[in-house]
Amino acid sequence: MIFLQLLFNGLIAGAIYALIATGFSLIYSTNKFVHFAHGSVVVASGYMLYLFYNLVGINFWISVILAILCAGVLGWVLNRTAYTKLREKKAGSSILLIASIGILIIIESLILIIFGADVKTIGFIKTVKGLEILGAIITPLQIVIIITSIVLFISLLLLMKRTGLGKSLRAVSESRDLVEIQGISSKKLFAYSFIIGSLIAGAAGVLVSLEQNLEPSMGSSLMIKGFTGAIIGGITSVPGAVLGSFVLGIVENYGIWYLPSGYKDAIAFMLLFIFLLFKPNGILGVNKGWIKS
Amino acid sequence: MISAYLIHLLIIIIIQLILSLSLQISIGYAGLLNFGYIAFFAIGAYTSTLLTINGVPFLLSLLLAAIIPAIFAYVLSIPTNKLKGDYLALSTIGFSFLVYAVLINWTGLTRGPLGIPGIPKPEIFGYVFSSNTSFLVLSIMIGLICFILIRKIVDSRFGKVIEGVRDDEPALKSLGKNTFKIKSITLMASAFFAGVAGCLFAHFITFIDPSSFTFMALIPVITIIIVGGLASIKGTVIATVILTLIPEILRFVGLPSSLVGPGRQILFALLLLIIIIYYPKGFFGKVEL
Repeated sequence: MIFLQLLFNGLIAGAIYALIATGFSLIYSTNKFVHFAHGSVVVASGYMLYLFYNLVGINFWISVILAILCAGVLGWVLNRTAYTKLREKKAGSSILLIASIGILIIIESLILIIFGADVKTIGFIKTVKGLEILGAIITPLQIVIIITSIVLFISLLLLMKRTGLGKSLRAVSESRDLVEIQGISSKKLFAYSFIIGSLIAGAAGVLVSLEQNLEPSMGSSLMIKGFTGAIIGGITSVPGAVLGSFVLGIVENYGIWYLPSGYKDAIAFMLLFIFLLFKPNGILGVNKGWIKS
Repeated sequence: MISAYLIHLLIIIIIQLILSLSLQISIGYAGLLNFGYIAFFAIGAYTSTLLTINGVPFLLSLLLAAIIPAIFAYVLSIPTNKLKGDYLALSTIGFSFLVYAVLINWTGLTRGPLGIPGIPKPEIFGYVFSSNTSFLVLSIMIGLICFILIRKIVDSRFGKVIEGVRDDEPALKSLGKNTFKIKSITLMASAFFAGVAGCLFAHFITFIDPSSFTFMALIPVITIIIVGGLASIKGTVIATVILTLIPEILRFVGLPSSLVGPGRQILFALLLLIIIIYYPKGFFGKVEL
């Protein structure tokens, strides 16, 4: 059953893209700029796992937690050092985007210098025979990926809807001034959004490194996928970003039914352009003024 | 030996200068964050390579290497026209990934990751620019023509209109200007010169493969135009010369060759961050983004 197999593959890819897209859209909606270096946080977390588990030899689960924590710290540090400075200077969102591309390049180059250009494998999960469901094969790890991402989405959704922090985060994405008037520090909220978004990126990085191999340059392409997912779904809404990412994963995998598999990336961007052309606010998004209508 | 190295550097500086000036048109003057222009550079390089290898005269392929990226730029401008700043930036980055994916995968045309070796040196009216010295003369001529043309464009009335797009698009619209057309033409002009730079690059190195046209290639040029200052031709020229020479130091301090590439990238990115944090206008810039 090729049809079902491709659907599974699409869902797995979509789950990973969705983890990147949610963190990205959380940071985007609160901070109002494109944190392109988000992709490198994902990759950094994968390499941290490789460092702790394969090189240092710490217990796997502890390494996973450490890697995710490192991602959170990295996100906080980036916000604290470069972005806060730029915000104090009243830099526009374009400048912040250029800064984030610079940061992405620095992190990718550092990884390249420290770990080398060769492909790394974590190798914790031994190749096991996948389960067969209606003729399609799915490995236990892939089931873990889908479950993890669903659990994370629900927790994020609950955090955003039910807790005070979530409410403040949603408020600051609507109006920074009104939040400040209420005596809530928007600076703190920006920091929180970076920490939460980067922790999710860290989880994505761990899953990516287990499912695929690690390469220093994978950050920018993962970022473009997450961004595409977020646009397709509507960048302001976290559920939209999740939906869009799954659509992207599935379309990509059905696409290679017809085209050579190397064109997978190309399919993603074609989809991005189709949406920009016909439905620039995405499936669930509302126009809030960053696209002129 | 030293002079050969110097000539090599000068040619690289000229190519880099055409590229930076071309990006300056869209980012500096029109305020359009066109980060996909590496793709236009690549399209120019591949167009000229494929044409000359199949026997098309150099001048004609140079012209086509400029026009074909401009056509692509027009096509790209249709879906991205309504997009503002960072949205435009990301979708043009998406475009450069798309072109990269095609270059890697369309092996029938581009030989994919293997690249195309043996690109002939330019030949004009029977004279072959085979030595680096003669190639330098050719680059200076082409570079000068590009420089004068770009100056003419930005100083013309149309240049002022482009700056209007950057500063106040609604006002321009209210004056009855067709901003869609203006933005398309700006992107096309930018792609045109990027294509010329790509053509020179291909014929100078005589070998191209997709790895020269990755996202990473973006950072040096962005750094140059930010450091030099947006919408400043003078700043761009000075920054191009200085920033092309600085990383050469890395070669001489005895860094292992595997570290030179990433070291160069870090140097550029750090410089970029420092400039936008402390001198957001660059050295000669008139505007901030």
